[in-house]
Amino acid sequence: MSAQIMMIDDDPDFVSGIKSILEKADYKVDVAYNPKDGFQSLQSKRYDLLLLDIMMGRGAEGVALARKIRKDPKLKEMPVLIITGLREQIAFLFPGQSVHPNFVETDELIEKPVEPKFLLEKVSTLLKLAEEKKAKTLKQGRG
Amino acid sequence: MKDKAKILIVDDEEVVLDSCAQILKGGNYQIATATNGNLGLKLVKEFQPDLVYVDLKMPGISGFEVIERIRESDPTIVTIVITGYATVSSAVDAMKNGAYDFLPKPFTPDEFRLITRRGLDRRRLVLETIALRREKEMLRENFAAIVSHELKAPLGAVQQNLFFLADELSDRLTDEQKNRFERMKTNINDLINLILTWLRVLSVDVSKIRENFHPVAVPLVISKAVDGVQPQAIRKDIEIVTSISESLKPVDGDEGTLVETVINILGNAIKYSRPSSRIYIKAEGKENDVLVSVTDTGPGISKEEIPYIFNDFYTGKSAPAAEHGSGIGLAVARRIVEAHNGTISVESELGNGSTFVIRLPASKSELHGEITLETNGSVKS
Repeated sequence: MSAQIMMIDDDPDFVSGIKSILEKADYKVDVAYNPKDGFQSLQSKRYDLLLLDIMMGRGAEGVALARKIRKDPKLKEMPVLIITGLREQIAFLFPGQSVHPNFVETDELIEKPVEPKFLLEKVSTLLKLAEEKKAKTLKQGRG
Repeated sequence: MKDKAKILIVDDEEVVLDSCAQILKGGNYQIATATNGNLGLKLVKEFQPDLVYVDLKMPGISGFEVIERIRESDPTIVTIVITGYATVSSAVDAMKNGAYDFLPKPFTPDEFRLITRRGLDRRRLVLETIALRREKEMLRENFAAIVSHELKAPLGAVQQNLFFLADELSDRLTDEQKNRFERMKTNINDLINLILTWLRVLSVDVSKIRENFHPVAVPLVISKAVDGVQPQAIRKDIEIVTSISESLKPVDGDEGTLVETVINILGNAIKYSRPSSRIYIKAEGKENDVLVSVTDTGPGISKEEIPYIFNDFYTGKSAPAAEHGSGIGLAVARRIVEAHNGTISVESELGNGSTFVIRLPASKSELHGEITLETNGSVKS
């Protein structure tokens, strides 16, 4: 069964491009254009991965959503891949530093512009990691 | 200073206090007086004067100490020494300790007014300089933000659409067309990188780097930097020779930016070296500092150029035509080193290569945990 991916981003051009890349790679993709709709969808259906834009609306609304997800018992295990043009926003980041340490806890972060091949690699790695983690917890639960 | 200038006079002789106050009466001043050093210092806090006259010879704490303490609490306050015994030497001592001027007793009202005016001018200039410096910093940061928004974001969007298009059309494009897409992507990528480097110069935020300071092992920095430039070196058949003295102390800093700085200096050395030559990188302790030096056998830098090479956007005249840079690598390196309370300097002679020296204060703390070095055999620890 192909993985279910949720994408939350307020840029329709970007969304349609990413969606087409993911669908060509056989993923099922749902889309929301703002954090509110996105959160609703996440609660109504199970997703294997979330692609999340950080800079939405009036500021870093994606950050607030990421924090909310991390606190939600049902959603906190879902891997989140943050896509962002953010580096230009947080005053300055140095090479080798994935994201401001006090900013938000995240599984992965990629910067816009996103290369299709790179995106697909990240997505499949995250899905695999989540799968392994789940298998491990199930085992532990039984033992 | 639109408000009345505030003047504090600290002297144990009431006569002096009275006459000073008398002389300045009617001028646009607010005056406070104290008959000893302790009272004076208390008033410095409460009254917040622009200018303080201090008698050197007072019972209790001395005028020297008063000046010292004022300077510690607010170095922008101008202090002027009143010296009763008119010995120039004690006035000079006081000025060495931060006093701006001295007033020898006895003095005429005109002398006192003149020195007061000069002192207040000085205070105004000091405050103005601080305000201007702050404004300059803000401009720099704002400019960085504007460049980032107005240039980088749209270019990023163009690049993103190119990625999408190339992907969506990939079954239908000829190889020649695919090549054209690749060239466009490369061009835009170069532009984005150029903007990023500019931003970098404008926005290296010293306080941000300092937030992450911790003891860093210099050999680790060097080995990472050498690894980083190895591909460039191999392309020109250049050997990088590392020597690190034993029991080198760590430095307090941010590993990432230090590695970047060394990469920068090494990259320059490779750029300016002849093919099949050698570059030497050395780390040693000296007094309470750690010195990292990079020596190349390239064309060297002329005396006239040396003062400018650490400036923004300066590109060397002796650079080979093919090696055009943006002229900001060394400027960024300098900012980073200075953020680490260090210095960067160069010794060079035309035709005889260059040696860049980064000097960083050694850390007072030890490294946390054990350092493991992944080396290619070139680093000893």
